Amino acid sequence: MQSSLESLSNELAKLVEEFQSDVVAVHARSHYPSSGVHWRPGIIVTADHTVRREEDIRVTLPTGKTVNATLAGRDSGTDIALLKAEGLGSPATQRGDGSPAPPCGIGELALVLGRSPDSGPNASLGIISALSGPWRTWRGGRLDHYIRLDATLFPNSSGGAVVDCRGRILGIATSGLSRIAGLAIPASSINRVSDVLLEKGYLPRGYFGIGVQPVALPEALRTSLSLPNKSGIMVVSVEPGGPADRAVVLLGDVLVSLGNTSLEQIEDLQAISDSGVIGKPLNAKLIRAGSLQEVTITVGERRGE
Amino acid sequence: MALEGFGQIAEQLRRSTVQVASSSADGRGQGSGIIIRSDGAIVTNAHVANPERSRRVAGHSRLVVRLWDGSSFPASLQVRNARRDLAVLQIPTTGLTPATLANSENLRVGELVMAVGNPFGFIGAVTTGIVHAIGRRPGLGPTKWIQAEVQLAPGNSGGPLADARGNVVGVNTMVAGGLGLAVPSNAVARLLAGDLNQAPLGVVVHPAIVPVAGRKRLGLRILEVVRGSAAEYASLRQGDTLVGIEGQALRSLDDLEQAVEGGGDRLLRLEFVRGDPNKVRSVAVRLIVSQVADPERGRRAAMA
Repeated sequence: MQSSLESLSNELAKLVEEFQSDVVAVHARSHYPSSGVHWRPGIIVTADHTVRREEDIRVTLPTGKTVNATLAGRDSGTDIALLKAEGLGSPATQRGDGSPAPPCGIGELALVLGRSPDSGPNASLGIISALSGPWRTWRGGRLDHYIRLDATLFPNSSGGAVVDCRGRILGIATSGLSRIAGLAIPASSINRVSDVLLEKGYLPRGYFGIGVQPVALPEALRTSLSLPNKSGIMVVSVEPGGPADRAVVLLGDVLVSLGNTSLEQIEDLQAISDSGVIGKPLNAKLIRAGSLQEVTITVGERRGE
Repeated sequence: MALEGFGQIAEQLRRSTVQVASSSADGRGQGSGIIIRSDGAIVTNAHVANPERSRRVAGHSRLVVRLWDGSSFPASLQVRNARRDLAVLQIPTTGLTPATLANSENLRVGELVMAVGNPFGFIGAVTTGIVHAIGRRPGLGPTKWIQAEVQLAPGNSGGPLADARGNVVGVNTMVAGGLGLAVPSNAVARLLAGDLNQAPLGVVVHPAIVPVAGRKRLGLRILEVVRGSAAEYASLRQGDTLVGIEGQALRSLDDLEQAVEGGGDRLLRLEFVRGDPNKVRSVAVRLIVSQVADPERGRRAAMA
């Protein structure tokens, strides 16, 4: 009779065997290759921070063959890059929708599967150690879930598949979005970003052409202008000829709302930037010389770098 | 449900795991070993059963094996293979509990494994994890390693890495990049069967950047030529610098390992520099891969 230890061991090895057929090694930087997941027919997704050159990219397939790949699109904000490679066929395994719902929540096992051109498939075991809703990365992109892993991420683990307790790909692993732990970029975010990247090659964001910093609003000013904001965001630079400049936003103006959204922190402005506002005129309320004024900014487009 | 098994396996493995130390008992040069036969045959790493080091440390070359129950025995070195870093020791006792060797070819990435050993001299410490990868490591030549996510430390060397059934799949040998590297158990089986070849070429080399015909390139300086080896009979000498194989410039130490490994008996053409850096010399070495345990055969073949 098999002990429960043996069955667990077998289950883990089976998961590795099943999913490694969709995991490739990505050669897009010097020294260590990273990993990537065959996500859609002909398309490989990897962690953007491991793509250090845009030409001469190669991938080592599960067959051991190394083929040329081209960069189909990248977004540093979400740390997602897409590669196109010949002779890939269709992915063999299931993607989850990226929502780590029970029974695959905090404390459940998660495997990180990568590939090394030297030794083939590799696996790291850990648990999902933290989980929460949508968040913004330090690189500025929005991800649907914060999924922290406690598996050890090795130099070639980034871009590898994170397989959850239901035997589905939860997302891809990255060591580039947190200093303290490896994270999973959720499958739903990969799907959303991939749709745009495949069409445009980049993830467009709204562009205002201003540099800002948050400032607290004095109680007296809030009362006299009857503002709900506790803080606003002050314009500290204006890009000449940019959308804000054309709308005559001046240095020192304090933005308090844009469209229907009140602006209290920089994140509020970022949230507007990636919500499909490109090309639309937005009514901006700002404090200038102690009084409230309104301007109309036609939002420009910034290519995600 | 509790996971029955980890504790049981640990207990069973501990009885088959020994401490290997030099007789000076000053704590240096300690490692682990695996009992593989009840009559006292023990497998460990060659770097643990190193007679040179034991002599330096202890003044003489005696190795001591300490069992899990605290009893200790003097050990004699039976076989030592530095290339695969394996050695077989014999201790004068019977009735031991041997470990079972698994077929390491059947081991899969992701399987649970457990390492038992004596890290930093602490007897019988256990760590668990999974098999991270199986295969080559960059910089460590063409040999195959079991790369496990287990926490090893000095003193674990020579101890068992076992699968979820408690069978030994590898001999813990080193730590690289946060992973425990183990020599697959099938290499142990081959060593015991006597067909794990010793260094087919018979040289100890050290990589160095050398000027060859006015250009700097990688060379492998020969520090030692093993007596009776293929290299000696091809007249390679200490101080020569290997710079190419079959007309190809050397790019790494792996190139030499790969050229020498496997492939049966054959001639291998090596380019080297001796003295004058502008003159690249060439020599054909007859590799006797099938059986190198008999140096006489190497001599006959080379002279033929």
